[in-house]
Amino acid sequence: MSNILETKGLTVTFGGLNACDKVDLIVPEGKFVGLIGPNGAGKTTFIDAITGYVPTSAGTAVFNGKDIGELKPHERAQHGLVRTFQSLELFEDLSVLDNLLVAGYQTRWYSFILDMLYMPRKDDAIEERIQWALKIMGLEDVAESMPSDLSHGRRKLVGVARALAAGPKLILLDEPAAGLDTAESQILGGHLREFLDHDMSVFLIDHDMGLVLSVCDYIYVLDFGKIIAEGTPQEIRESATVKKAYLGEEAGEIQAQAGQRMTSLQQDHAEIEDD
Amino acid sequence: MNQFIIALIAGVGTGSLYAMLGTGLVVAFRGSGVINLGHGAVAGYSAYVFNELRTSGDLFLPWFDIIPEWGVLQTLRISNIPTRIHVFDFEMYIGKPPLLPTFLISIGVSVLLGLMMHLLVFRPLRNAPVLGKVIGSVGVLLYLDSVIAVNFGGQNRSSSGFWIFRPDLEPVSNFLGLGGTIPRANFYMLLVAVLMGAFVFILYRYTRFGVSTRAADENEKGASLLGYSPQLIAGINWVFSSVLAGIAGIVFLHKTQPSLYATFVVGALGAALFGKLTSIPMTVLGGLIIGAMSSGGVSLATQDWWPGWLESEGVRTFMPLLVIILVLYFQGDKLPIRGTLSAGKQPAAPASRNVTVGVIAAMGFALILSNVFVSKWEAVLTTSILATLFMFSLIVIVGYLGQISLAQYSIAGFAAFMMIRFIGDGTLQRPDDYYVITGLGMPTILSFVCAVIAGTLLGLLIGLPALRIRGVQLAVVTISSVLAIEELLTKSRSLMGTGAASIQPTPSNPSWFGQYIGGFNKETFRTDYWKYSLFLIIITALVGAGVVNLRRGNTGRRFLAIRANERAAAAAGINVKNAKMLGFGISSAIASIAGVMLAYKIPAVQAENFAIFSGLGLLAFVYLGGITTGYGAVVGGMLVAGGMMPEFLGVHFGDVERGMINAVGAVGLIVNAIVTGGEGVALLQSNGLGKIPLRLLRRNPDEDEDSEANEEETVTEGASI
Repeated sequence: MSNILETKGLTVTFGGLNACDKVDLIVPEGKFVGLIGPNGAGKTTFIDAITGYVPTSAGTAVFNGKDIGELKPHERAQHGLVRTFQSLELFEDLSVLDNLLVAGYQTRWYSFILDMLYMPRKDDAIEERIQWALKIMGLEDVAESMPSDLSHGRRKLVGVARALAAGPKLILLDEPAAGLDTAESQILGGHLREFLDHDMSVFLIDHDMGLVLSVCDYIYVLDFGKIIAEGTPQEIRESATVKKAYLGEEAGEIQAQAGQRMTSLQQDHAEIEDD
Repeated sequence: MNQFIIALIAGVGTGSLYAMLGTGLVVAFRGSGVINLGHGAVAGYSAYVFNELRTSGDLFLPWFDIIPEWGVLQTLRISNIPTRIHVFDFEMYIGKPPLLPTFLISIGVSVLLGLMMHLLVFRPLRNAPVLGKVIGSVGVLLYLDSVIAVNFGGQNRSSSGFWIFRPDLEPVSNFLGLGGTIPRANFYMLLVAVLMGAFVFILYRYTRFGVSTRAADENEKGASLLGYSPQLIAGINWVFSSVLAGIAGIVFLHKTQPSLYATFVVGALGAALFGKLTSIPMTVLGGLIIGAMSSGGVSLATQDWWPGWLESEGVRTFMPLLVIILVLYFQGDKLPIRGTLSAGKQPAAPASRNVTVGVIAAMGFALILSNVFVSKWEAVLTTSILATLFMFSLIVIVGYLGQISLAQYSIAGFAAFMMIRFIGDGTLQRPDDYYVITGLGMPTILSFVCAVIAGTLLGLLIGLPALRIRGVQLAVVTISSVLAIEELLTKSRSLMGTGAASIQPTPSNPSWFGQYIGGFNKETFRTDYWKYSLFLIIITALVGAGVVNLRRGNTGRRFLAIRANERAAAAAGINVKNAKMLGFGISSAIASIAGVMLAYKIPAVQAENFAIFSGLGLLAFVYLGGITTGYGAVVGGMLVAGGMMPEFLGVHFGDVERGMINAVGAVGLIVNAIVTGGEGVALLQSNGLGKIPLRLLRRNPDEDEDSEANEEETVTEGASI
């Protein structure tokens, strides 16, 4: 089986500090790979690096058999390496459906002429994919709404749906479950594995240990920019190194659960404040 | 060589003005995070208050009487707003009124302007997106320039200066043994500029006020947590900035005329950017360098070896632009830009439905009007339609793509002159023409196409900086390009042929497929020829349909995605650079078509037809109409000076000056930026304000222009009172 993404010695330096330090990571085609690590471990920086949002100082990233080191972010996206953002970054002036359409259709140089004549290109495969993305994220009823009218959690799902609409070969999910309420979390968690049926591989970053352990085929653990452990969910669950780094103490399991309850409470609280 | 050095030194005169204005710009920027494009106009207003006090003893307040002397209002004796106060009686003061009180009163007006800008414009806009703030400062610029024109007359008003700032002082000759002469006042102005810079520098470095301003500049939230009110700090800085502008304007009075002050902001922007919008000493230095470069460049342009096509005026106006481009290109990412994180809400840009119905209804309405109207009114109608046509270019670039280009009207002018040049064949087109235009002798249709291509290429060139910079920086570059385009290209004799700098005849025979379609009617000697109206209506309808369709398709969605979030747009696979270039290309092509159509209409085109304030006026009115939708352009077109709405009002209320219309437009622009965030009249329904006119509009599309325009008029008038 070939690998959709392979990084070798990928290093990102911010002013002398290695945010990612010689990261070797493989995402096999058709698999669900997770990356976990405590806050500030360099997870988002890693996604930024392979999608071209921060420059790498060393190492290579090969996507779908092609070295993507020199490609611009939009070119990487066009090749099928599509990401979501932790901080939403939706197109606030476009409806939910338009957000998906933007990502779904690529244009050619003459597209604007056809658009001005109102002869838009309709591609059944793309339309179907967009409808699927809306459906799987439970957004069909709000397709015509503006993102600003939705709850934080649903906005997050719009971000995922937008990435799905682009028809990615590999989708990079940056903490998609953060800020979701229970129902929204279930929508997401229940459908994540379905992504694999649609001809794509998935790379997931999340704080939610439960989510990562339950959906991933293989997991990498990042701390202070370095991969400190990797393995199947079973191996990670039992790894002493991981517990120490990620949960702090041997008895961190309980703490972590308490912490999760607290974070979800805080998030609920934050949402109430938002409203 | 000596002559060149002397020219460099003589440039400190203008350089000092740039330095002083640049200092004021930095002060306002540090206080509020706004780059005030109207800063030069503030200087101009104070300067002419001073001048007017010294000549007639009257004080003109910074507004004019907008209440017409008409009907009910007259019987109720609601007939005027005080604008003119007689301060000095000449019988008391033989000769000129005393200097100091005059000066203090003028500075008092500066204070008033600063307060007005803060309280009425920038404070309400403090949470607006960058577009809104830039539009606000364009509004200030346009308003003050228009009021200067109304109150003090547009031009040819010379002042002999005062005290040591006079042109008739004995010049300094043989300075540093270089020979030649330098006006003495230049050195005094330099002294004022340096003192002003030093004063501001010390104030910001060592006083509590300065420290709190710097704190608020660096971290607004942090400063407010420490108990400083950012808005109070901003207000004080606005007043301070205006006072500095007033002093600069008064000191420079003997060197210029009213209509030019507003455009000095370009050099000042160059100076302020040279100081990275923070450093006062570097700003002063930058101003002096730009002044010296301009003056030195003009001196070089008189040399034999200098290429003739680069004319000296062009060189002079290009220098500030050059500095601005260099600074932004190399330092653009390091410039402090405040408030970009809370970008605020952009005006909504809904896709239109029923485009075919709308376009056909509008076309039909216009055609009916063009047949009902005779003589003058047909020309008025085509003025409105031309404005609408041009406004579509702004909808694409500003409304959809969110790139604030203030140079689109210059592109229109460039294309118009290029069309004339392409068509010219060295023969006299009309018996009464002043010049013959030599050129390529192209057929009319081909020249139209080539002119549009030329305009588009120029637009792409202007758009290049947009690949690296955005928001207010782009506005700065484009407004600075306006003067350079005019002097370097549109007025260039070698490029545009003899007479380009003065009046230039257009070919009187723009005929397509054997039909004369020019606006000039040989029988009535008016620009009311019906075939032109028809042609213009068709072109406008086609362009309008194209622009509206753009929003319905993927291209428009991509433009809006870029406007909303460039980072995310790239993640969605959008090539942001290409899309921006596409936007500039489409917009410039439309602007070029509008320029050529204007040249078809009037018998003689002048560079003044495409002057900076005409362009800003058009931006103001399309913003008022609604910058994001096709309706916005239609409504905006009705409102422009010389268009339907002002002319109808003119019939009822007597003649309305162009300056007044632009001033009302500027007020409307600011009010619109504050109230609707730029959605304008066209989208009032989404704000729940305009339900009634909209219902009328749905039932009967033919009546939309009038009802909406009327409503807007009341809004703007109410606001300016």
